[in-house]
Amino acid sequence: MNPRDRLRSAGRRWTDPAEALAQQVTERVVDLIVNALDINELAARVDLNALLNRVDIDAVLKKVDVNALLDRMDVNVMLDRVDVNAVVERMDVQAVVDRVDLNPLLDRVDVNDLVKRIDMDALVQKTDLGAVMARSSGGMASEALDAVRSQAVGLDQFVDRWVRRLFRRKHPGPSAPSALLSPPAAILSPPAAILPAHAEP
Amino acid sequence: MSAPAVQADTYQGHYAGSVSRFLAYAIDLTVSTAVFSLALAAISYGVHIVTGHSVSWNRSNIVVAVIFVVWQFFYFGYSWAVSGRTFGMALLGIRVVRADGSGLDPRRAVVRALVFPLSFLLCGLGFLGILVQREHRALHDLIAGAAVIYSWDARAARLRFLARQAELATSDSPPPGSAARGASH
Repeated sequence: MNPRDRLRSAGRRWTDPAEALAQQVTERVVDLIVNALDINELAARVDLNALLNRVDIDAVLKKVDVNALLDRMDVNVMLDRVDVNAVVERMDVQAVVDRVDLNPLLDRVDVNDLVKRIDMDALVQKTDLGAVMARSSGGMASEALDAVRSQAVGLDQFVDRWVRRLFRRKHPGPSAPSALLSPPAAILSPPAAILPAHAEP
Repeated sequence: MSAPAVQADTYQGHYAGSVSRFLAYAIDLTVSTAVFSLALAAISYGVHIVTGHSVSWNRSNIVVAVIFVVWQFFYFGYSWAVSGRTFGMALLGIRVVRADGSGLDPRRAVVRALVFPLSFLLCGLGFLGILVQREHRALHDLIAGAAVIYSWDARAARLRFLARQAELATSDSPPPGSAARGASH
């Protein structure tokens, strides 16, 4: 046997227990130190600004995977905790509106469809619009003319119904000439050259 | 006064029916005949003032009959050519257009006026088309390539009616607070 090996094995008999003892002593010492430390007092002594000045925030952010972070977030829970009213109160709505380009927005709105949804009868009866119309619509003569025309149209339809029954027509004919039927809007707003209804006496 | 019969739809641009067209024609016939009679009376009066002789117009006089026919042609033809409607049609809210709905050109208006008497032939059978034809077109409409439509907006008339009713209701109702003041006296 090599005399060096004998020395090594003798050394190990002493060093291994000594190393384990040193480990235990170190752990115990650390425990004692940690328990003895006042973390709050220690934190109070740390100059965080100086610490942060030494941190390269950009480098830290580059390492963060924001998408992975967002995937792990429950946005609904977060929104539940947000006081929207408080947020809105802090917003400068006027500034937001000033920045909105309304023209493309209005281009996408179907005004004709919007107007069709308005209950004009209620609008005229319940607002000042009715009073304005009544004062500008020509009085008794206009009223009498409307009544005569209405009665005539009613009688037209009455006669038309009887003729259809007489000839046993299941489907009525076209209601208007083709140029006035398509597009449908043509009936709602006919060309002034063809149907200047408001120009009538 | 009752509410206008037509409520939901405007009917503007739809083919006009027989009653509206008959009433319009009756008004036109009355007006044109009255104007013609007045003109004859004015001419008689003028002749009497100038010459001292009184002129009596005989209905069977062929000259008067021809002038009357020409006047009728002028009355209807000119009205249709200029605006697509006569006085009676304007009152009833109807107008003449081309068969496809576009505005009536003067040529078609003159043709329609020229062939209009044809519809009276055979006991007025030419007018039967207004009743039975799907587009309510009479013989003279078919020949001239024309149609008669409503140019009157029934929907607007209903809104005017509602506006007047609302105005009347507002004027009839006492001003706010007057009831309380009346009770205190």
